[in-house]
This record gives sequence, structure tokens and C-alpha cells, in this order.
Amino acid sequence: MKDMLQRLQRDFNISDITERQLRLTTFHVKKQSAETLLRELRDREGYTHLNFMTCIDYIEDDIFTLVYMLHNYDKKNTLGIHVNISRDDEAMISIHTLWAQAWTYQRELREMYGIRFPGSPRVDEDFCLEGWDQIPPMRREFDTKKFSEERFGHRAGRQSEQPRKHMKVELYPNRGGDEK
Amino acid sequence: MSLKDLLSPFFVWQRAFEKPYTTLRPTLDRPGAPAYRGFHINITETCVGCGSCQTICQNNAIDMVAVEAYAGRAGDSGLRPRFDYGRCCWCGLCVDICTAASLRMSNEYAWISDDPDSFHFTAGVDDKPWQDNELGYRRAEGYHLNPPKRIEMPMLSAQESLKSFAEVTLGYNEEQAKKEADRCVECGICVATCPAHMDVPDYIHSIRDGDYEKGLQLMYRTNPFPATCGRICTRRCESVCPVGILGEPVAIRWLKRFIVDQVDKKDYQRILEKPIASTGFKVAIIGAGPGGLSAAYYLRQQGHAVTVYEAQATGGGMLRYGVPSYRLPDAELDKDIDHITSIGVEIKYNSRIGKDVMFESLLENYDAVFMSTGLSVPSSMRINGENHARVLSGLQILADVASDRDPGIGKKVAVIGGGNVAMDAARVSRRLGAEVTILYRRRISDMPADEEEIHECQQEGCTIVPQAIPVEIIDADNKQKVCIKWGEAKMVDDPKGGRARPVLQEDKMHTETYDCIISAIGQSSNLDYLSKELQEQLAFEWGKLTPAEYQHTSMKKVFVGGDFANRTADAISAIEDGHHAARGINRFLNPDFYTALEKQEN
Repeated sequence: MKDMLQRLQRDFNISDITERQLRLTTFHVKKQSAETLLRELRDREGYTHLNFMTCIDYIEDDIFTLVYMLHNYDKKNTLGIHVNISRDDEAMISIHTLWAQAWTYQRELREMYGIRFPGSPRVDEDFCLEGWDQIPPMRREFDTKKFSEERFGHRAGRQSEQPRKHMKVELYPNRGGDEK
Repeated sequence: MSLKDLLSPFFVWQRAFEKPYTTLRPTLDRPGAPAYRGFHINITETCVGCGSCQTICQNNAIDMVAVEAYAGRAGDSGLRPRFDYGRCCWCGLCVDICTAASLRMSNEYAWISDDPDSFHFTAGVDDKPWQDNELGYRRAEGYHLNPPKRIEMPMLSAQESLKSFAEVTLGYNEEQAKKEADRCVECGICVATCPAHMDVPDYIHSIRDGDYEKGLQLMYRTNPFPATCGRICTRRCESVCPVGILGEPVAIRWLKRFIVDQVDKKDYQRILEKPIASTGFKVAIIGAGPGGLSAAYYLRQQGHAVTVYEAQATGGGMLRYGVPSYRLPDAELDKDIDHITSIGVEIKYNSRIGKDVMFESLLENYDAVFMSTGLSVPSSMRINGENHARVLSGLQILADVASDRDPGIGKKVAVIGGGNVAMDAARVSRRLGAEVTILYRRRISDMPADEEEIHECQQEGCTIVPQAIPVEIIDADNKQKVCIKWGEAKMVDDPKGGRARPVLQEDKMHTETYDCIISAIGQSSNLDYLSKELQEQLAFEWGKLTPAEYQHTSMKKVFVGGDFANRTADAISAIEDGHHAARGINRFLNPDFYTALEKQEN
């Protein structure tokens, strides 16, 4: 493992190598080297299985981090490959040519985060959000609460109290800052 | 129609006798995965009704509702979350943010009903079969959506702080304050416990917004001593902060201080509200401590002419003479007092009631009187020999140091007591170069002093001897010294469940010689300025009294507040007493106005 990581560091300039738990290591790689690295891991290092792909929105840093999770059945360990892509240019090379099932994940990421994967089969079709007309819902700037407020009706008879106001009425009605 | 079409339905019937391909519920029960995010469980006894679940819910699926079994009390709003399963998406954020870890999810996921309104329930209150499920989503051990640790207050090292009376705490910088402010869930449960009911969540929010002038305005609505309270408040609010259940409470006091530190004194006039037009009423206030000046501030705001009579040469009362400057620098106290005088409150210093001005003349010349003269007389230890010249009072030492007088303590002192005055007398003695031993009759954990003060006291090299009962003060060989005989105490549990009692062990006595003994075991009031008849008329008992609503006494014109009129005897309670008396005096002076207001409200 150590040798392999050292070699990847030399050849692909991987960084932030972290052993998350027993048999799970993650590292970062630059966007332009990612596909070659994944191919290398699949064909030369025995990481033949793509467990899943996902994404994290680091809106504060203006990036999306794509995560490719690969498994090696012989060594029984897993690698998490992190790839930062700019939120301004949210496109990534499709890996459906490496793992056919990747098209499903990419279609989901397209729908949930708006990340483009040019060439990925059926990538622009609705995945589970049929008729979605908002910005992608997993993007952090999507205001879930506002959306649910606008989209869904309220059950009749619902009412709620603020802890602070409720306590004032119950415990100290004539005190505090309200009375002039 | 062919014969086949007619018969085909009957061929299907032959399948009725075959083994079915599908399984029937409930023949086979399929439990949810062990950490499944199913229906909600709330441990209502642990829940404090902070409403963080409601705030974080992205679908507006949670309401906070009053529940019969829980009344609002310190640290518990009495509300409990009610779920609308027409909206819930089972994301589990409510479980992750729950300050008390009382909210969980069961692994139950099946609930069938014809009535859509039934999917609206108060978890843990409405009887549901999954309430006691062992399985389901729980927050992982050690996982906190809200950081559990507070931002540490930068402080002088113990060695550094011993060198002078410079302030020990250094204050947050903006980054630290914002980080700490972000830990607040803005539930407002602390507001009920703060004696002055300060707008804590709102002023903390003003830090998030970087709007410190707004923060200052919010604080002055309920407290004209924010610079002071931001340093030495007893912070009852923090003891009920829900964030403190699983982690450390939000550093409310330090955040208050941060806001005040950001605003220059010369901007106060521009930022803060000005008094309304003069009403023509005159109010006299006895004592320029936190109680008296708080009343003065709010009465002046209401347009009344206010005169404060203070026996000492400066204002602040115990804040000035009882709190050393390493905890509360004079400049900070002056920042508060100067604003109070800047709006037109007149303070007559060196004016002792009963000597320079008579109480009766105040009754005659003013429309109302507020008394807040506190507890200024040190209590007696009630042991033989305590009138020895080398037995000094903690209060006197603190007052001497505050007035730049040398209290003459010597090089080796013993402090008797476990309250803040004892701790401060000890820390002051350390700064004056003495070796300090504190004798306290109970355990350290029983000490009424602020925990931080006890800790800092120890850090600064004071030795605390707990379970030590003073027995007798004895003359030493040298007139400049004094001996104390004290005995070790055994803690005996109270069979009635009260606090454990120290019992002297006659066979474990010690005698030690000191340069002086500092007694700091409590204080009582000095009511010499009132005649015996007046004291009786006002219903003083043992130098204290319990006022009626709005701090009113049995005498029509007289209102009281501060340490001699409440049980908590701290600055923030005195401030609220003063504010509340101001409300009362205002009602008393404008009875028609308030009757009209009440009619309007009804």
C-alpha cells in the first residue's frame, strides 16, 4: 500500500493522503490526472470495482469535491479518490468507459448537483426528480426550506410557539425588555 | 366472442391453489435496519424544549407545542416537538442538532391509517408503539453538529497576573467572538433565567451580523451595566444554556463583553435611546450601586428627575469596592456609570443618609424613593477573640485596595470563607505579596464562590484547606501577629436530604500563626439611616426585607431592591430589581396611564 501510494505521489502528484479507518484510505488528485489515475488503479493495482461516486459541495471554497470509491477484492481494501472541481466550471470527464455502471451515478450527480459529464449516456434525462424546475437541490445555495414553504401546503390547525415567548408569558410577563 | 375468451377467467382460478409468489404481511415481519431513520422518539424528560429541531427542519415539519406534563421552568421551555409526517423527509437533522440528545428515530417505518390527520403527533407524549424501540437512528457517540467546546478566553498567565492588578481576562477578538456566537442555537431559554431577562439570543445574533451598535442597544433595554456584567456577571444564563447539556455552554458573558469592547464610550450618546420629555416628577435613590443606578437609568429614561445619594466618594457600590480591578477595571465600570450620568442622572457623592441628609426629608421632597443600600457590614465569625486587631475583614481589604490604601496585611495570611469576597481577598493578598491559606468549613465543591474564581485563586498559588472550622482567635507572642485555632471537620449527610453538614472533630485541632486573619464569611445590611420605627414600618427582618410586586414596600412612596431585598445577592439581580422598581415607580407616578394601557390590552 505504502509503495503504491508513493508511486502515485510521484506519477500523479496525489496529496492529502489520509487513512480514514482500517482498509480505507483517501487522497486528492488533480482534475486533469483523475481519469488516467483511475484507469491505472483499475488495470494495474487491482481496484476493479467502483463502489460508488458522490459529491460534496464546499460552497465556502467555491468547489465541488467528487469522490470515487474503489475496491480491491484481493487486498480487501478501499480507496477514496477526491477530485476538486471549480463551481464555476462544474464539468468532469465521464468514466462510463472505465466502469459501465458509472453512467447512473453521473446522471444522478448531474441532477442533484448540476455537474456535467459530457458523453455520459442519458446523462441529461430526469433521474428521480421528474419535472424538476429549480436549481439542483443538493447545491448548498438551494433553499430547501423556502422551496418546501412555497411548494407544499400547510396542514390546517398547525400552530407553534417560540420557547422564549412562551416562557415570558408563563414565567415573567411583567419583566424583560418589552414593556416601555 | 370465442369460447376461449369465455373460459379464460376460469383458468386463472387454478392458480388459487398454487404456492403464492408474493409474501403476505404481517405473516413476515421485516424490521428496519438497525440504524434506520424511521419514526421519531423523544425522551420528553430529557428534552428541554429548545426548539433547535424546529429551527433546523428544512421542511417545516416540526412545531413546538405546550404539553400538559411540562410547565416552563429554568432550563426547560415546557414545549415539546410535534411532527407533521405530511412534510417530514426523515433526513435526521433534528436528531443531529438536538441539544439534549433526547430526540431519536426508531427503525419502525410502517404506519397505516385512513385518517390523514393522525400523522401529526407529539413524539413521546402521544402513545406510539415505537417510543421504546431500542433500534433506529441515534447520533453517533462524539458526533456534534454544533461544536461542543467553547472558544477559550485568552488570559494572563498566573505568574503574569500576580505581578499587578491588571485585568486577567483579555477578551475575545472578532474571529473568536463570531465563532463562539455561532455556537448559540438562539433558543432563548436563558432569557427566562437571566434575572434581568436580557435579550441574549438577539445580542449574540448582532455579533454574527457584526452590528455591535445594535447589540449595545439591545443590552441597554434591560441592563445599563453591560461592560460590568460582561466581566463579572454570575451568568445564571450559562447554567441553563441547552448547548451546555452535551458540551460547554455558550460563553454568553464573554460575548456580552465583546460587544461592549467594540463600542467607544463617546459613541454611546449617539447610539443609545435618549430620555423622553420631562414629566416633572422627582425620584430620590439611596445608594449608587448597581441596583440604585439601574433604577436611576430607567427612571430617567421615562422623563423623571433622578437624584442618587451615595455615601462614598465614587459610584458603583460593591462593584467598585468589593470587586478587585483585575476582574473589573475601574475604567469599565466608569464606562457604564458615565453613560448613566450622561443622560441626566444626578449623583450626590459623600452624602450619607441619616447624617448629611435625613431619610424623612427625602420622603417629603420627592415623589418616590428607591432604596438599595446593599449588604455592607461583614458578618461575625462568632468565635472567641475575633475582635483581635489583626483580624481584618475581607470587605475592608478590598475597599482599601480599591481606594489605593495599603490594607497592611503582612506576609502570611489566612482567609476565612468560601465566597467570592473570600477568593478576592485571597487573590488581592497574593498580589500584595502574601502567602495565602484559605480555610473553609465545607468541601471545595460546596463553595459559593464562582468556580472560575476558585480555579484562578488556586492557579495564583492560594492554598485552600477545606473542611476547616475556625474555633478561636488567640493572641500571638508578637502584637503584629495572630493565632487561629481551627479543627478538621467531618461531613455528615443530612438524613432529610439537605446539604451535608460539617461536624467539628475535637481531636483534630490545629493552631497556626499568621500576620493577619481575613474574615470573609458573609455580609449583612447597615440600616442605621432608618429609625427603628421606619425599619419596622418597612417590615425589615434581620436587616433584609421581601418587597411586594414591582419592588414596592408597605410604605406608599418607598421601593427597594438589591442585595438586602433579594435572595441571590448578585449584581445582575440588583440591576433587575432597579429596573423593576423603575417600572413600579413609573406606574405609581402615572397610575392613569397604566390603567388606560391595561384596558386597551384587555
